[in-house]
Amino acid sequence: MDRAVVALDGLTYRYPGSGAGVADVDLAIRAGEMLVCIGPSGCGKTTLLRLVAGFLRPQAGSVAIAGRDVTGADARSRQCGIVFQSYALFPHMSVRDNVAYPLRVRGVPGAERAARAAKMLDLVDLAALADRLPAALSGGQQQRVALARALVFEPAVLLLDEPLSALDAATRVAMRDEIRRVQRERNIATLLITHDQDEALSLADRIAVMRDGRIVQVGTPQAIYDRPASGFVATFVGRANVLEATVSGPDGVDTPLGTLATLPHGCARGEAVSILIRPERVEPVGEGAAGDNLIVVEIEQDKFFGATRALVAKAGGSRIAIETASRDAVHRVRIPRDAIQFLHGSRNLKEA
Amino acid sequence: MTTAPVTGPRFTRWVTLVYLAYLAAPIVLLFVGSFGQLWLNTLLPTGFTGRWYAEVAADPSFRRAFVSSLTVAGLVILLCLVVGLPLAYAVFRADRPAVRALARVIYQLPVALPALVLAFGFIRVFSSDQLPWLGSIWLLVAGHLMLGLPYFLQAVVADMQRLNLKLLEMAAESLGANGRQRFFQIVLPSLRHSILAGLIVVAALSIGEFQFSNLVAGFLSRTYPVVLLQAFYGATGFACAATVVLLVLALAASVAGALSTGSAIRPAGAY
Repeated sequence: MDRAVVALDGLTYRYPGSGAGVADVDLAIRAGEMLVCIGPSGCGKTTLLRLVAGFLRPQAGSVAIAGRDVTGADARSRQCGIVFQSYALFPHMSVRDNVAYPLRVRGVPGAERAARAAKMLDLVDLAALADRLPAALSGGQQQRVALARALVFEPAVLLLDEPLSALDAATRVAMRDEIRRVQRERNIATLLITHDQDEALSLADRIAVMRDGRIVQVGTPQAIYDRPASGFVATFVGRANVLEATVSGPDGVDTPLGTLATLPHGCARGEAVSILIRPERVEPVGEGAAGDNLIVVEIEQDKFFGATRALVAKAGGSRIAIETASRDAVHRVRIPRDAIQFLHGSRNLKEA
Repeated sequence: MTTAPVTGPRFTRWVTLVYLAYLAAPIVLLFVGSFGQLWLNTLLPTGFTGRWYAEVAADPSFRRAFVSSLTVAGLVILLCLVVGLPLAYAVFRADRPAVRALARVIYQLPVALPALVLAFGFIRVFSSDQLPWLGSIWLLVAGHLMLGLPYFLQAVVADMQRLNLKLLEMAAESLGANGRQRFFQIVLPSLRHSILAGLIVVAALSIGEFQFSNLVAGFLSRTYPVVLLQAFYGATGFACAATVVLLVLALAASVAGALSTGSAIRPAGAY
């Protein structure tokens, strides 16, 4: 196991006069790792970032950066490079001066300062715009200036607060790759905050899912998607059918869709469980199909996305979301046994 | 309900033109009058002369008033920076509702407290034996500061909010800047436009202020507008020329302000 660059231990912060904040957060960011913290708005993810950055002091717990306890230290001395949601570039300084600013306040001599700023601007491909003011740049370019400025003083950690939310869709995807490339190149431990699941799944080495100020699951993107700890995680990361069901036998459950055959699950008969079926695991089938869990459906919604179609269908007494590449009309679907997962709420919080 | 379709734009244009002419007419007449030899019962003066300006320039009381006005305005600007800037910052950073309420009161001060009322207050307080400072130039400065400060605060605080200065400071702090560096390298330079604009308003107010100055100024600290009033008891040409001087002064201030704002847009290299 790598040494943790950032170690949060029992971190708790409540905003005065409200219940919002974060509670009892344990989290470690390893060297060179991109950890993406995702959750709905108000879940405390920005608070978490501010606690790491030193803009807020926790009421309980501790923050350690690069092996040093910085719980009481101010933001200046924490060696965190931060990219803010709205970039926070200094409007009166040129791109070059913005990037050189962290070196300027550290008293780095002029020539070295210029050289290091130029090198960072090369890295983010902005050398040609070094003399411009931030106001003369596009959103994506401002973002790259902010990234260069946050990295030029070789901080121990990079913190990104919803860095892509202010960009249009096309720029967002390009910037996502750019952030990943730069982060890999500098091999810096990174905490990225987002509410966008695509961003989280495509960028992260590990994802931490937050809800109501607590971390509900930490794991690789694959683990979070394939083995979500709860219905909340399942629906927040990826599309999901989460059904309330009753165990009807050692390999079956009663659901609003009807009785479904599952893999042997080991739950007691009559136990109430939640099950998860990912829409892309629901297979449209023809008339003559045979096998488990064949269900007659009636399509209510049909959205075409090019490569796939997203359907919502009425089935039994309930509805089911289906994702398929097929262009044909859908009247019957099959749900393979191994596509049905049991969600165990908080019972299965172990990191995968 | 619909507006008149075709006549609309033309009508608005006419109204605008008439209004502009109405605004410009007194100024134009002042210029014309200041160069006219004789202006009694006619629509326009007769003859052309520059002697009124020479007389104004030679008049010792006008010369002293001119210097007084510039001195007062300069001191007010200086104090506005020293007092107003920290005040604006305090209002901007204030979390407590009491401070915000106080700020709103200060903003409303020019409406709630006319110069006349302020002047009576000053006279009442500073004509006493304990505080016998009536007639001092510092009382004028203090009064003009009270009248001008709200405009300065409004301009600067609005700019702080627009720039999201709090976030800029957070960014600077995370990049390693200490309090002094944040103030001199981030706060001051990024606010320079609004600070300058606010100071120009304050200077213009101070230079043109009459009500308060007329009541509070001592004989030797009279400002230009106060002395100007007396010019209208004399020759029309002289009065016009004296007024044009004030007008040019105000105009110069705003042009200087506009120019310095323009040059400040491109900052010198910070290396």
